Amino acid sequence: QTVLRSSDTHPDGYPTVEAVKQFGELLNEKTDGRYSVEVFHSAQLGAEADTIEQTQFGVIDLNRISIGAFGTQVPAATVTQLPYIFRSADHFHNVLDGPIGEEILAAFDAVDVVALAFYDGGSRSFYNSSKPITSPEDMAGMKFRVMQSDIFVDMVGALGGNATPMPYGEVYSGIQTGVIDGAENNYPSYDTAGHAEVAKFYSLDEHLMVPEVLVVSKIVWDGMSPEDQTAMREATKESVAIQRELWAAKEVESKAAVEALGATINTVDKQPFIDAMKPVYDKYVTDPALQDLVARIQATEG
Amino acid sequence: MTLIVAYQVFMRYVVNASPSWTEGTAILLMSWFIFLGAAVGVRENFHMGFDVLIYVLPKGAKGVLRTISDLAVFAFAAGMVYYGGTLAVRGWGVTIPVLHIPQTMTYLPIVISGFMMCLYSLERMLLRLAGEPVDEPPAELVTEA
Amino acid sequence: MEYWILFGVFTVLMMVGTPIAFCLGIASFATIVYLGRPAMVVFQQLNSGLAGFTLLAIPFFIFAGDLMMRGGIAARIIQFAGAVIGHVRGGLGQVNVAASTLFGGISGSAVAEAAAVGGIMIPQMKARGYGADYAVNVTSMAALIALLLPPSHNMIIYSLSGGGRISIADLFTAGIIPGLLLAVALSITAYIVAVKRGYPTEPFPGFAKAFQYLLISIPGLMLIVIIFGGVRSGIFTATESSCIAVIYALLVTLLVYRSLSWSEFVHSVMGAVRTTSMVLFIIGAAASFGWLMAYLRVAPILTDLISNLTQDPLLVLLLINVMLLLLGTFMDMGPLIIITTPIFLPMVQQFGVDPVHFGVIMILNLGIGLNTPPLGPVQFVAAAVGKISIWTAMRSVWPFYLAGIIVLGLVTYIPALSLWLPAQFK
Ligand code: NA
Ligand code: NA
Repeated sequence: QTVLRSSDTHPDGYPTVEAVKQFGELLNEKTDGRYSVEVFHSAQLGAEADTIEQTQFGVIDLNRISIGAFGTQVPAATVTQLPYIFRSADHFHNVLDGPIGEEILAAFDAVDVVALAFYDGGSRSFYNSSKPITSPEDMAGMKFRVMQSDIFVDMVGALGGNATPMPYGEVYSGIQTGVIDGAENNYPSYDTAGHAEVAKFYSLDEHLMVPEVLVVSKIVWDGMSPEDQTAMREATKESVAIQRELWAAKEVESKAAVEALGATINTVDKQPFIDAMKPVYDKYVTDPALQDLVARIQATEG
Repeated sequence: MTLIVAYQVFMRYVVNASPSWTEGTAILLMSWFIFLGAAVGVRENFHMGFDVLIYVLPKGAKGVLRTISDLAVFAFAAGMVYYGGTLAVRGWGVTIPVLHIPQTMTYLPIVISGFMMCLYSLERMLLRLAGEPVDEPPAELVTEA
Repeated sequence: MEYWILFGVFTVLMMVGTPIAFCLGIASFATIVYLGRPAMVVFQQLNSGLAGFTLLAIPFFIFAGDLMMRGGIAARIIQFAGAVIGHVRGGLGQVNVAASTLFGGISGSAVAEAAAVGGIMIPQMKARGYGADYAVNVTSMAALIALLLPPSHNMIIYSLSGGGRISIADLFTAGIIPGLLLAVALSITAYIVAVKRGYPTEPFPGFAKAFQYLLISIPGLMLIVIIFGGVRSGIFTATESSCIAVIYALLVTLLVYRSLSWSEFVHSVMGAVRTTSMVLFIIGAAASFGWLMAYLRVAPILTDLISNLTQDPLLVLLLINVMLLLLGTFMDMGPLIIITTPIFLPMVQQFGVDPVHFGVIMILNLGIGLNTPPLGPVQFVAAAVGKISIWTAMRSVWPFYLAGIIVLGLVTYIPALSLWLPAQFK
């Protein structure tokens, strides 16, 4: 009986954590108890970049992680980090459930992990402490904290704002004291980090829908029998549906929670934002293969 | 480091454009300082330990214990060279976001520091064998209450 | 078996007198090799443990403190403070607690705080005939006030680890009264010990002289205003403020007091590099050790032990306190909060304990753990500044531990100490 150790940066009870737990139970059934999964939630085993390395050299077995943490290491996966690449949740699901999704999963082989499935991570939008944002002009001169990633820094720049580097833990007091005007995230993080208390304007521009991905160490994968590999693939597929339900429920709950805290949510005409992204796409989508991939994603329905 | 962070504050207020490379650069510089400083610490004997036993034991036994410690330092330092080196080699193909340098740069100080620690701990063991007073605490830390 | 290797190797090496950083590193290394897993992770964590921007505050505050000490800023502030409350027995102990309370409103890191206040106060106290152990113990315990008074990044970590629903604003507010309570308790303890040891009182020099000392020390005192005002009004972050402290201290000593020679400056830089690399190397090695504790699920195993023992809420809180104190002996605060919050919080919530209240208990408790060997980063810093061994400091620390434990007891069993103030803002 092998216990697979799985890392997750989110806390216990979070949709991704629960989905991996259920995946573990499914895997246990399908392999007649040969494999089970133990989830190390709340970043107990380290920050995202650390756990990627740990999965690669095989000290941990599974890892549920945001594709954003891979940066530009996996070129095909980088396109999912492009701003406004997905038009809606339906579009996002159609792309990832189809051949393009398979293609992106396969691309992870190059970095010594086997990618099993995509989970939902919701859409990220800007929030700030001073005003509702309705157009890129509103963002002029405003300081936003973004993740340490070139694409995200350039995205804020292209919209006229200033991307400000800051550790996640300092964001709350940063907004409170005015060091920054705001940040960007999905509803659940906006809620649980308490940022809704200090930045009351949440503007639904939905600039990013970065998929979460469940990967298994190549060392572990290569040590599994073909039947167990198949069982793992099947268990993953089933856990995707479970995770999507959990995620949808979590978003509804978090949206209600931030509204209860007094957050004002406004919708946005996305077109001017999308138009402003041309320089970002020009900079990061230079390879013809990636240009083709972007075109196929944009051509997908939804 | 001071200058980099000062530059970050300056840019934010005077130019109103925060440079995104400052945080990562300052952290990277700090880690170089720390690992090289820690290696020098092995030579100068300023690392802090829990010296209860050392106080109560006779002089001969102290030498033995100190040698065990130096062996432990040597072993860990050798690990820093080997495994740090492996991590550094792996990191060649990975670019640190925003800074645009290979991740090797974050693991290199471990390797260099480990190498220096190996040499310094060997030096200490040899000097002790030769009867040199290597176990005296450094002048800076001597004053007992 | 792997548990025995992790803690056994660590304990044996520690008894032998191996530097703590290497005890932690070798124990982690031996354990992962025993488990037959790649040992690279130990060295990865050695590096990652040092990759936080907030850690930068440590070398900066150590350096700023050293500059203030050598450049005469500290001497002038203490001259003034001595004139005001020096006539109390052991007055510099009181000044130390007061300064820590002030600085605690600027920084959330007890380690940086011990470096900043200790760097100024400990040499001055020693120069006036106070025992180095007394100076170190007052400094290291008073540094914990920084954890409770806002800003406190550990409270943010707690809130995130609790999985949401815990307001950071409430946590920040909840820490204020317990923080001040700790200050008062330490002040009383410092007084009692000072009376017993017959530490000096300074003669009251008269109001005119006191006012003159105030004027002389104003450029130095302005630093507190700049840091405090800067962070509060949002001009810069807590980490950036430590850097501003260095620059400001340099400017004042070079341009206003003109009291810093080139060789002293070089000494100051070298001293800061030494202390910083020693302390942060331990923090890096502790990250490896903490990673293995998480990997081996040490915390959940201990939790199971507790819940098998009792279901009575008062006892559960007592047991959790004892367990956190024990864990805090071996591990650093951040990782412990992250690992134990998701386990302990649901447990105490079942017994009706408020999560904000529990957060304050946890921060104070683990804070005390920052001052207990073998792994006590705050104690390391204070002892390093005081140039004494941990062992020397330990011999006379118990009255200060007692004060900390009494405050912990009060905070644990009187929820209103934490919850009354946040309720006033509703
Ligand atoms: Na504080
Ligand atoms: Na401790």
